[in-house]
Amino acid sequence: MNGALRLKRALVLSPPLLWTFLFMFVPYAILLVYSFWQQKYPTFVPAFQFGNYVQIFTDPQYFRVILRTLKIAFFVSLGAALVAYPYAYFLVFRVRKPGLRLMLYMAVVAPLWVSYLLRAYTWKTILGTTGILNSFLMSTGILSEPSSVFLYNQTAMIVTLIYVFIPFMVMPIYAVLEKIPHSLKEASADLGVGRVRTFLSVTLPLSIPGIVAGFTMTFCLTFGDFIAPFLVGGPDGQMIANVIASQFGASLNWPLGAALALVMLMIVLSIITVSDKFERLGQGRFA
Amino acid sequence: MKKRLTLLAQTSFSALCAVSIASGAMAGELNILTWEGYADPSVIEPFTAATGCEVSATYVGSNDDFAPKLAAGGGVFDIVTPSIDSTYALIEAGFVQPIDVSRVPAFKDIYEQFRTADGILKDGKVYGVPYAWGAIPFMYRKDKFDTPPTSIKALWDPALEGRISLWDDKSALYVAARLNGNMNIYELSDAELAAAVDKLVEQRPLVRKYWATAGELVDLYKSDEVWISNTWGGYQSGLLAAENIEVVEFIPEEGAEGWMDSNMIVADTPNEECAYQFLNMAISAQGQEGVFKVNGYSSTNPVAAKEFMSDSEFSALHQDDPAYLDSLLLWENLGDRLPVYTNAWNSVKSQ
Repeated sequence: MNGALRLKRALVLSPPLLWTFLFMFVPYAILLVYSFWQQKYPTFVPAFQFGNYVQIFTDPQYFRVILRTLKIAFFVSLGAALVAYPYAYFLVFRVRKPGLRLMLYMAVVAPLWVSYLLRAYTWKTILGTTGILNSFLMSTGILSEPSSVFLYNQTAMIVTLIYVFIPFMVMPIYAVLEKIPHSLKEASADLGVGRVRTFLSVTLPLSIPGIVAGFTMTFCLTFGDFIAPFLVGGPDGQMIANVIASQFGASLNWPLGAALALVMLMIVLSIITVSDKFERLGQGRFA
Repeated sequence: MKKRLTLLAQTSFSALCAVSIASGAMAGELNILTWEGYADPSVIEPFTAATGCEVSATYVGSNDDFAPKLAAGGGVFDIVTPSIDSTYALIEAGFVQPIDVSRVPAFKDIYEQFRTADGILKDGKVYGVPYAWGAIPFMYRKDKFDTPPTSIKALWDPALEGRISLWDDKSALYVAARLNGNMNIYELSDAELAAAVDKLVEQRPLVRKYWATAGELVDLYKSDEVWISNTWGGYQSGLLAAENIEVVEFIPEEGAEGWMDSNMIVADTPNEECAYQFLNMAISAQGQEGVFKVNGYSSTNPVAAKEFMSDSEFSALHQDDPAYLDSLLLWENLGDRLPVYTNAWNSVKSQ
């Protein structure tokens, strides 16, 4: 009996474990090995040396790009949270009809089924010099000449990425807000606390895990993005993933690219660790 | 729209990191990694009809895309069409195989300086069949300039802020180095390279966008974002002319780079027969006319070119004067300096 159970368990667990091993650990191990290799014309050769890491930490261009990427990821997450929170709040607490609520929820989530590339490309036609935004501003007389400030800069990248990743912010916030029992808000009202204070001391703290989860996801997705710089970014749009792509591509320096990818992985993992702490903090307080 | 699709196709390709379009090649199926315009249906359809070899093409945005895609392995591609600065590295890395020129009868008709170019020969063996050539001139929107620009300096002119574009490629360094008076653009010292980087950093606030594909540059001109840039001589200007946007190409005082693309056979291709058919077709009158009509590039095979070009076209494309190419700074293999150049270009974009 015990043996049969163990066998069943092994049968159920082994495919996902095997999958994780083959497609997560093995590639990372390969990446790690590569990161110690050395570039040598025309390609690269096996070695064990730390030159690639030394280069990353001594050549200021990598630090600058990582910093820029962190900055953009922060603004995308912040912007997405500021838009997504009121929207989710409105859906959960103000929309009474379940059908309408589902429809509005799907309106945010549905774009996920459209190719990211297409959605990012759309912003080009909106923000361009001869784009929809400029045409609108000119037809209303706000601008007399088309402005070029909307496209090919970091702001355009942030706007595009907020749009692209906002479902990942709405979903977790919606989920936590939905779980907050109505009785808590009623209790707060019974105790004579106003709406604003009820929000600040009951609803908002209880929804922190959702905000943190959304923030983390948006942040990490942006941190690894390399299409937005290509489509709507300007000459100052290069992000860390673009640098990695160019190491695996243009310079054919896979060892340096692998080292950069691992540094990036470390950054993402530390972000997840910190956010996990935050989330637990939020849960611990109100559990 | 066609260009837009090319851009999308290219992007999604890189996004998926070399997921092959057609893997497990069957007999009679060629996968070529090449430049936009080089696999035009006007050429490919008759080729497939005549030989039974199906062709699917993947496009590169720069010469730096060839080696990485071949290094990723997987036996996806059968033919690549790199430029003369990238051919030799592919030979040395063992990514391409020698070509039996006796199976390419028209090879002898190709301009001598091309078929004996260092970049396609190793140990007396031929590795590439020269296909097309031209310059990397600059171009500008005619209606936006009262006095036509004649110097690279125009791309550093503050009056043109936000109207300038440069190819997102290490060749940006070649441009800046020439502006600094360093004509040895393929052998720049670290100090000269640093000076070129400084020049590009100085220029960067004026740049609207670094263009990555031909289609993107055409879009940038079409949507009135860019007025002056470098270009692949003949190609983008032709596409823009079809959109009724008048651009003028010019070779600046500081000179221009020259390029020559060759078809090479990927090592151990299972489709060798089709590959040779393709090489022959490419330098035949039919293939050369295709690249002339679609891309506006000069022909490597003057015998074939005579069959479809008028006398005026023949001389306009410098076909009667291949010494013109010597006046251009023909791209060279950068060897072990390639990563140094690439990092220098990356550092400009990191500022």
